[in-house]
Amino acid sequence: MRAMQDAFRDAATRRLLITWAVLMGLTLVTMLSAQLGGDARLAALPLWSAGLLLATTFFKVHRVLMVYLGLADASPAWRGAFVGLVLATLALVASGYMMARF
Amino acid sequence: MAERHELSQPRPLPNPGWGPLAALPGNPLMWVLILSEMVVFAAFFGLFAWLRAGEREVFDASQQLLDPVAGGINTMVLLTSGLFAALAVQSIGRGDRRRCRQWLGAAFALGVVFCVVKVVEYADKLGQGLMPETNTFFTFYYLLTGFHFAHVLFGLGLIALVAWRISHDNVETAAAFWHMVDLIWILLYPILYLLR
Repeated sequence: MRAMQDAFRDAATRRLLITWAVLMGLTLVTMLSAQLGGDARLAALPLWSAGLLLATTFFKVHRVLMVYLGLADASPAWRGAFVGLVLATLALVASGYMMARF
Repeated sequence: MAERHELSQPRPLPNPGWGPLAALPGNPLMWVLILSEMVVFAAFFGLFAWLRAGEREVFDASQQLLDPVAGGINTMVLLTSGLFAALAVQSIGRGDRRRCRQWLGAAFALGVVFCVVKVVEYADKLGQGLMPETNTFFTFYYLLTGFHFAHVLFGLGLIALVAWRISHDNVETAAAFWHMVDLIWILLYPILYLLR
């Protein structure tokens, strides 16, 4: 508890804590957008819901890369390479999902 | 004027002498590992999505047998563990070895919690007779989560090692590995447990 209080005093640490809170919130959004409750779980997700799921996933990965791993301090080329790889991965998943659906 | 001159100076590279990797923070070789792991998992995810398109009913029915809430809890556990690892790096950056060890200990403990939840999940699935050879979905389920689980175990060993042989470089490198484990799970969870 004392360690957590000390951590709040520092701006860099505050950034980490805010990022963590955002990531936790987005995890809840991910779970909610997947409609885990009741009979809805048995049906295919509406397209908006699947889109939101992938968008929150991208944003979470982006935050981990930029803040936790410190990629924000790297050159734009490296940032672009990593973000591009994540986007390509999610695009592959999304295209497979769309192929299964239509 | 001097201030303006200072502002116009390019930022020094974090790793001078590392060629194209010089602009990456922390240990450049860890970034090579992170990139290669991301490519490997991207290939697995792509293959999973491709096969799902051909066997949608099997994949959707099999996914119903997973526990998405346990997966979500494990996501939160890993994210919090990642925060503690990042705080450990900050502590060692300030020269506070004792506090750094405390954060590493907290990150390690949550890593163990992740493993316990995963083992309980595996035991439940195996108890229901759901084996890797049951169908394509479960082949991927065990392959992807098992490969990730192996990384978690390796990461735990790494955290224990750097808590013992503590130094800024060691802690930063182990934390980077731990964040990569975190990152892969963030991708894996919705693809395997939620998207249908």
